[in-house]
Amino acid sequence: METLRDAFDFRDFSKPEKVGFVIFTLFLLVFPWLGAGSFVKAVVIQFLLFSLFGMGWNTIGGYGGQVELGKAQYVGIGAYTVALAMVWWKIPFWVSMPIGVLIALGYSFIIGYPLFRLKGHYFAIATICTSLVLQDIFINWKLVGAAKGIELPIHEHPDFLYMQFKSDTYYFYFIMALFYVAIFYMNWFRKSKLGYQLRMIKEDEEAAESLGIDARWCKIKAYSIASAFVAVGGGFLAVYNLYIDPYSVMDLDLSIKIALMAMLGGAGSMWGPIIGSAFLVPLDRFLGSWLGAHKGLIGVDFMIYSALIMIVSAYQPRGIWGIIEQFRKR
Amino acid sequence: MAFLEVNDLVKDFGGVVANNHVSFQIDQGEIIGLIGPNGAGKTTLFNCVVGYHKPDSGKVIFKEKEITGFKPFMTNREGIGRTFQIMKVTAGMTVLENVMVGAFCRTDDRNLAKVEAAAILGFLGLDSLRAYHLNELPIASQKKVGLARALATQPELLMLDEVASGLNPKETEEMVDLLKKIHRDKRITLFLIEHVMEVVMPISQRVIVLDGGEKIAEGLPKEIVKNERVIKAYLGEKYAKSL
Ligand SMILES: Nc1ncnc2c1ncn2[C@@H]1O[C@H](COP(=O)(O)OP(=O)(O)OP(=O)(O)O)[C@@H](O)[C@H]1O
Ligand SMILES: [Mg+2]
Repeated sequence: METLRDAFDFRDFSKPEKVGFVIFTLFLLVFPWLGAGSFVKAVVIQFLLFSLFGMGWNTIGGYGGQVELGKAQYVGIGAYTVALAMVWWKIPFWVSMPIGVLIALGYSFIIGYPLFRLKGHYFAIATICTSLVLQDIFINWKLVGAAKGIELPIHEHPDFLYMQFKSDTYYFYFIMALFYVAIFYMNWFRKSKLGYQLRMIKEDEEAAESLGIDARWCKIKAYSIASAFVAVGGGFLAVYNLYIDPYSVMDLDLSIKIALMAMLGGAGSMWGPIIGSAFLVPLDRFLGSWLGAHKGLIGVDFMIYSALIMIVSAYQPRGIWGIIEQFRKR
Repeated sequence: MAFLEVNDLVKDFGGVVANNHVSFQIDQGEIIGLIGPNGAGKTTLFNCVVGYHKPDSGKVIFKEKEITGFKPFMTNREGIGRTFQIMKVTAGMTVLENVMVGAFCRTDDRNLAKVEAAAILGFLGLDSLRAYHLNELPIASQKKVGLARALATQPELLMLDEVASGLNPKETEEMVDLLKKIHRDKRITLFLIEHVMEVVMPISQRVIVLDGGEKIAEGLPKEIVKNERVIKAYLGEKYAKSL
């Protein structure tokens, strides 16, 4: 009960935030009926998906302050579970997606246990490595399609059980629903005991331990929550794209984008990941189509991201949201 | 049975023996001072007791339970709170939130934690600081917040590492009153490292003196100030004469 009340209680936000949130929600609700083209629709779906990823990352990366750069492996676990379950056993999405989340949770505990013996840069590098290892395994694993990946069987008729639709609108509303579940969850999380403890760990880990906080265990829990979030998004990605391979769902590129978006928007704040995603997803799409036409410029997108993150962190480490708050205080 | 018992504790930092076969006991309800020159091994001794360092040998026994090698969060759950000589000055959490984190040690309920934290801030007279961040406060207030959040974990033994360092005489006096109040009203055993004699001598029931990692004296404050070795190692002739 208490939990539910916390999740839906937005009273401690400022008035502009509440108004903005309502307007934004109304906009999303009517968005499919505004006559946007399929490119724009795809961008907005991507925006919601990356917001979901970012909110998940925000638990361990933002509130917990751990530079986590391996979320792609959990996108992969979610996506592969859904895809393989469907291809091999015709298991519907609504069953395979939760299974994917459970696998992600289990895997994250196993990985998290040794991972959180490490701190700082060592931790960051280790998260990258674990994700690369899993990607490598999938690239070479014949049974799961190796580097070629997996195509999901396309159903002739729209099928809610398997989440196959002809129109983007259904996918849009589905990811929007997930996005709101994530928002309510995060609204609970930031007020939870674990949320407070993680923030203390980020502030001063020694002091946190002296206050009875098992820092390592808290980090593992947050890491697993983040992994579960991301696996949900991975499952969505499988049914949305109907095709996955280790490069599209397990790449380092993806891990970095997830962390980058949340950091740019404002790590450790409620709206940061959403704002970051709203900036970077359109930019990414635009750069993607532009760079596609100029083959010699591969890597320029990451140069631009790095520049952005450097500018923001030099000016305000708490990201765009930090800048907004700074102006509001004046 | 002693409340806290340290037996033959050794901590060797690869050549620097910071604690060299140190033993002592503390009874419940006492106020014990720990003094000694810079680098004597006082902070190290604290860290060995609460678990930031693993002693090379020796035992730490708290309430008849051996806690040697326990992690800091475990010793806290056993009932030992501590403050730091150098407190990290952070900007991400308010004073109230800092103290709430301490209170969360004993409850899962946020409202309860908040009530508890508010009560402790009230007890220490810090009500007006609730909404500030540590980096916005003067040192004296920072130290009190450190005290408040440790208190919020409801310790039975509170270990304070130089709570009065960096304070002016008036603030020091306030701090002494606060410590007396904590001891009297909350019945918490206090174990404090202190360089400021004006703090340690009046309130300590017993004083332990470390020098070069070794315990060189232990006794009543009035005995300690007359102890030849202590005067030589630490107090200096001037302080001894001024008494
Ligand atoms: N983590 C460490 N690694 C190596 N040497 C250490 C470490 N911590 C302390 N020392 C050394 O152990 C000795 C005791 O240090 P400690 O900090 O315990 O002294 P102290 O009595 O608290 O001094 P002060 O009054 O200056 O705080 C010093 O020589 C110090 O350099
Ligand atoms: Mg010290």
